Amino acid sequence: MQKSKKIVLVGHFGVGKTSLIRRFVKNEFSNNYQVTIGVHITKKEVQIEADKSINLIIWDLEGTDDLRTMRPSYLMGSHGAIFVFDVSRPSTFQNLNEDLALVNDRLNKVPLLVVGNKIDLVNKEDLDSLLQEHQISNHFLTSAKEGTAVDSLFTKMAKMVYGHD
Amino acid sequence: MAMNELDKLETLKEILFTDDREYAQKIAKRIAILEQTINDSEKLSEKTNPIIRKQLDEFVEQIPSTLGPTITATLKEQIKTQKDDVVDAIYPILGKLVKKYVAQEIKVLSEKIDNQLDFVKRFKRKIKAFFGGAKEKDQLLSELSSGNIEQVLLIEKDSGILKASYAKTDAIDEDLVSGMLTAIKSFVEDAFNQKNQSLEHIEYELYHIHIQSFVNYYVAVVISGNYGIKSKNKIQDLIFNFYDNFMAMNLDLIYTSRHLEKQPKIIGTEALNKKLAESFGNAKI
Repeated sequence: MQKSKKIVLVGHFGVGKTSLIRRFVKNEFSNNYQVTIGVHITKKEVQIEADKSINLIIWDLEGTDDLRTMRPSYLMGSHGAIFVFDVSRPSTFQNLNEDLALVNDRLNKVPLLVVGNKIDLVNKEDLDSLLQEHQISNHFLTSAKEGTAVDSLFTKMAKMVYGHD
Repeated sequence: MAMNELDKLETLKEILFTDDREYAQKIAKRIAILEQTINDSEKLSEKTNPIIRKQLDEFVEQIPSTLGPTITATLKEQIKTQKDDVVDAIYPILGKLVKKYVAQEIKVLSEKIDNQLDFVKRFKRKIKAFFGGAKEKDQLLSELSSGNIEQVLLIEKDSGILKASYAKTDAIDEDLVSGMLTAIKSFVEDAFNQKNQSLEHIEYELYHIHIQSFVNYYVAVVISGNYGIKSKNKIQDLIFNFYDNFMAMNLDLIYTSRHLEKQPKIIGTEALNKKLAESFGNAKI
């Protein structure tokens, strides 16, 4: 049986968690925003090397403005996590460091990637100064709409969790 | 006639060495016997066993006073730090014991009730047959019809990752089912905010999902058809037996392996799939 790992996507409302997963799993994008209620689970096999692959069981958690209200049981047993914020909405990343501390605290030292999504909505210069201004360090800048860096984000996560128990 | 020099020397040698030679021969003989005893394990054990036994008896006598406190402290520490694993290992055994006792008591009670109801039931069936047209035999069959095990999933409790599975027919993506089942389970358990209580049963139209939680894993059994207290009982027995035989053994191996250089082989997913099929595939419930 294929090795399977649980990945959770967390972040505020409407930052594009579901869209990132949809782009990665189905290579689709929809402008119609539908709120995720509870949790939605999808699966995708990721080829890491020629003879190495892994099943990512991706838990798309409902967004929340206050991450302290996240249901702890949904995070339990996660092998990796992706924190998503919306680069066009500062409210989703102005408390990023506290949010990350909270997520890290609940996740028990699993690999965590920080992703700024919706880069198609801002220009490069504005984005750079915005991130600098808020002292935000992120691992990936993505656009679920255009597919920018989405595959590389999930492949990176797959590689991180492959050997991590 | 006077002895010549050589004869004198010979006589002197005889006087001087005879006793010693005999003595030396005796010693050599003793050594040979000793050597034989040491080399022959049976003979050696004849001599050493009583000594070892005596020392062992003394050792056993002293265990409570010398090693007792250390063993108790180690066990306490182990139970404290690995509480979940310990519970996981003893849960199926305790579960079986309690179930057995309760089942026996219920059986006695139900036999008493059955005896009293039998007459009433027969009478009711006859009336039904008379008015409804359904044969008494058909009614009996429908009362006795049992459920079927369609699918069994062994799932990691926290992550919802599927560990092993068995399905009678081709099932939909079991990884996703395991994940969603775990999410639903977590949601219900969170929603009622009842620690130490877990979702045990989901029902949808013709199917039932029986869920048995352990500490690290849980087992979900999908049943079609009739699912009453009798089937529930049988499924619980099947699950407890499976978990006790194969999952608790994995835990034992994990414990043992901590102190061994060569890791013992823990039962892998393929083997667990087979064991699930063997345990649940032909089971009558």
